[in-house]
Amino acid sequence: MMSSRDMGYDRAIVMYTPDGRLLQVEYASEAVKYGSPVVAIRGKDFAIAVTRTRDNDPLLDPIEKIHMIDDNIGAAGAGFTGDIGLLIDHARVQAQRHRMVFEEPVDVRSVVNTIGKFIYEFTRYGGVRPLGAALIIMGSDKAGKHIYQLDPRGVILSGKAMAIGKNCESATDMLRTEYRADLTVREAIDLALKALSKAEEKESPVEVGIAIGDSFRKMSLSEARALYP
Amino acid sequence: MTTTVGLKCSDGVVLASDRRASKGGMVGSKGVKKIYPLDDNKAVAIAGQLSDANYLINLVKAESKLMQFERGFPLSVSESAKLLSNILYNGMRSYAPFVTEMLVAGFDESGPRLFEADISGAVTEEKFTSSGSGSPIALGVLESSYREGVTCGEGSDIASRAVKAAMERDPGSGNGIMVLRITKGGMEWSNVGGAE
Repeated sequence: MMSSRDMGYDRAIVMYTPDGRLLQVEYASEAVKYGSPVVAIRGKDFAIAVTRTRDNDPLLDPIEKIHMIDDNIGAAGAGFTGDIGLLIDHARVQAQRHRMVFEEPVDVRSVVNTIGKFIYEFTRYGGVRPLGAALIIMGSDKAGKHIYQLDPRGVILSGKAMAIGKNCESATDMLRTEYRADLTVREAIDLALKALSKAEEKESPVEVGIAIGDSFRKMSLSEARALYP
Repeated sequence: MTTTVGLKCSDGVVLASDRRASKGGMVGSKGVKKIYPLDDNKAVAIAGQLSDANYLINLVKAESKLMQFERGFPLSVSESAKLLSNILYNGMRSYAPFVTEMLVAGFDESGPRLFEADISGAVTEEKFTSSGSGSPIALGVLESSYREGVTCGEGSDIASRAVKAAMERDPGSGNGIMVLRITKGGMEWSNVGGAE
């Protein structure tokens, strides 16, 4: 019997396999698994994410992984850099559009929903390629502190702790056993780093994103350690 | 209607305005804000159609923020003024002009800067300037009082005297004065009179 692959069900994303799968979308999710991991944790009054910058070549500047979306929201991606950039641009425009209409900072959920729909549309049409990017979006708004996760299917997940990218299952397993609701910022960063090293053995500089108070900031690990001893 | 005044000082730049919003021959509002910050070191003073000005300010703020995230550092004062004037020019050329005149003031790497952008999209750099219906009167005060190298303290005094003179003789201006000083250290607001 021929496999669904041999029968060409992975040629077009608008085509289901007989058992109801969209192979191109699944392949896109596979691409994300090669991306460098990001770990995020939500505490009582903060949300953080840690990730390592990519610096394979000492001659090149490390590529930044955490991106500002607005003063109160940040994001980090795993997968194709270009696809992540497209989503970041889209999120930033959405945040500023909200400010123009309401003269208020945008809430995290609205940005996440917009980006989720945007990603999802790439799974519905022929002639396009599903985006090979997963995103963690974190931030602060009137409803509190949030972390959200978006994948190439456009699925939105929110929660207390999560990981995307390479070996994210190992990182998530660790978070599952060691997460506590009363973590301090420092403890959350340390736990996230521990989970990150479960997923990836690397020495490159760590970037930290922190949503606390009304704002989101990105910083180096040493800055974060100095601010939250 | 309105009187706005801007002047460049040795250590910063000053914007001042009255607080009156006119609705035809009536005083529409007695405590309106005519000076808006664009970010931590830039602000605009507006005259003309309030709705047009509010929309423009929001648009410029949004575009500047996107630009800043993209390139990693904020727009200079002259870049902000040019961005604003490009939108004004587009408005005029598409027969839907923004009926407003704005003073763009701020402090950046090149020091204190002051620009004026009008409905046609023309943008000029000035040492001191005024716009709105009270500007002929305010400019009289500025022409006789402004000296190059005034400090922000003296500048605020000259600016509020210019607005005050306009408020005395121009029926479109009144109800108190708002002054903003922008220096290297940031922004400092002061209000004289006007409804809260």
